[in-house]
Amino acid sequence: MATIIETKDLTKIYGGKVKAVDKLNIKIEEGEIYGLLGPNGAGKTTTINMLTTRIAPTSGTANVGGFDITRRSLDVRKLIGVVPQDFTADEDLTGRENMMMVSQFYDVPKAKAIETCGVLLKMVELDDAADRLVRTYSGGMRKRLELIIGLIHEPRILFLDEPTLGLDVQTRTQMWNYVKEIQKRLNVTIILTSHYLEEIDELANMVSIIDRGKVLITGTPTELKESLKGDIISLTLVDQKSAELMKTVPDVLEVTDSGPNTVKIKVTNSDESLPKIINFISQHELSTVRLTVTKPTLDEVFLEYTGRSIREEEGGADARKFAMNMRRVRR
Amino acid sequence: MSGLWPLTVRELKKWIRNPTFLLTGLVQPIFWIALFGSAFDITRFFPGASSLVLGGAPNYITYIVGGVLTTMGLFTAMFAGTQIIFDRRLGPMGRFLSSPIRRSSIVFSKIISSVIRIMPQVVILLVAAVLIPNGLKFVHGFTILDALVLATAIVLVAFIFSSIFSVIATRMTNMNSIFGIVNLVNLPLMFVSFAMFSSQMMAPWLANVAQYNPVSWSAEAIRMVIINGSLTAAQWTQIGKWLGGLAALAAGLLLLTAYLVEKEIRD
Repeated sequence: MATIIETKDLTKIYGGKVKAVDKLNIKIEEGEIYGLLGPNGAGKTTTINMLTTRIAPTSGTANVGGFDITRRSLDVRKLIGVVPQDFTADEDLTGRENMMMVSQFYDVPKAKAIETCGVLLKMVELDDAADRLVRTYSGGMRKRLELIIGLIHEPRILFLDEPTLGLDVQTRTQMWNYVKEIQKRLNVTIILTSHYLEEIDELANMVSIIDRGKVLITGTPTELKESLKGDIISLTLVDQKSAELMKTVPDVLEVTDSGPNTVKIKVTNSDESLPKIINFISQHELSTVRLTVTKPTLDEVFLEYTGRSIREEEGGADARKFAMNMRRVRR
Repeated sequence: MSGLWPLTVRELKKWIRNPTFLLTGLVQPIFWIALFGSAFDITRFFPGASSLVLGGAPNYITYIVGGVLTTMGLFTAMFAGTQIIFDRRLGPMGRFLSSPIRRSSIVFSKIISSVIRIMPQVVILLVAAVLIPNGLKFVHGFTILDALVLATAIVLVAFIFSSIFSVIATRMTNMNSIFGIVNLVNLPLMFVSFAMFSSQMMAPWLANVAQYNPVSWSAEAIRMVIINGSLTAAQWTQIGKWLGGLAALAAGLLLLTAYLVEKEIRD
């Protein structure tokens, strides 16, 4: 596979003070779905904005599809499709009119644009609503429209910036299926940013975890999870004394506090270690309140490399962001 | 891949699909001419006004039509910039900036559409001015050439002020700021000009400043063809100077707009 995007020490500093992206180095191969995972403010959107030439980097370089983003920005814009985090469709136009307008930005011949428009609208099940004004669309419908507007000119590279932000679980799953189908049908390289771990896990072939503008680790989701070398047994006991005692349990990799009366026990293989831990509990006549076994997830990977959980970081933030977007479009 | 055509069509579709915006834009000029023109008709209480201060116009409405048409163009053009801020705040700007269109097309589509929007207003205003009692009178006739002078003057004024306010808007994100600037300058631009009053009716210092205001050049050019009909060579020369001044200013500002917007427009 050929490299289609490569950044070298890409940096963006806002107002001479805020370092949003800090010497970012990533390499993306053609045909991949590449995930950038990180909490809000990690630098994901700034990275996308630089790669899509909407903002200029402060220093460093990036090559997109063979073109330098600073010196050949127009050539870059011709071969990419973008689905930004915010809604961009004009709500005073219909879904189809929005798509046809954008097709003209790329000089797509009219007959070809009409055909592609029909195929894409059908693919995301918006064909019935295509001739309605966008202002009448639900949040999920708008997101689906945004997705296909970015594809109307059949780009080689598609940037998806938080494509399912604020959507309900059912619509999110539906969007994942569309993204997979798009990648399969059009063989387009997709760069996906998200702070939904399951989204990256489900869609991406390669992942970079970024935080505070820096790449912390890159690999396939499986590689990242395997790098943790172990399962987590989370155990809540009736009191803190019992929890402290659990720290003496033998033959485990690590025991750490993880809340009131709760410990996290890291083991190589939970299937083998669980009976030993249960024996330890009965020997010491401890009372347990809750016991859960977790195979490694990307959240655990994130916790490992950043020292905090992405889920805690994001509590409610995405919902607020989505509500803000909807308010903006309804004004 | 200039994007100018699809973006201009978009602007016009939005205009047509917004009945309130469409209707108020069309009705407002009628209020202007009917209320302002009738209320300030000085020929009713000052019989010599026509020849002394109104340049030979038979009534005040005939005198101010040129001024009202110009200020209507001015006000419509000033709001071209607000649409840029709307696009930025509501999201479409992000789409435009990540596509390979010329940045200047985003702004020029607003400018061109605001000029197009003015045209039906001009026609409606002229018809209304003729129909209202003691309204617009073409004492010496009105030719196609006169109509061309009228349209050219308004279009140039619209280009001038929509360029200025579009460039200002490309540097703003707050809607209140642009409204504040529009409100701050619209009345001075109108009243420090010969749009509503002749130089004889103004304080000398005000008349002196007003002669450099492009609003005055347009109002005077339109007024000259409406009041006089067939013009003398000297009058055509004067109109040439006014329209030439407007054209030079419009061309300079449009070039400056294209240059600044390509460099400056942002999300």
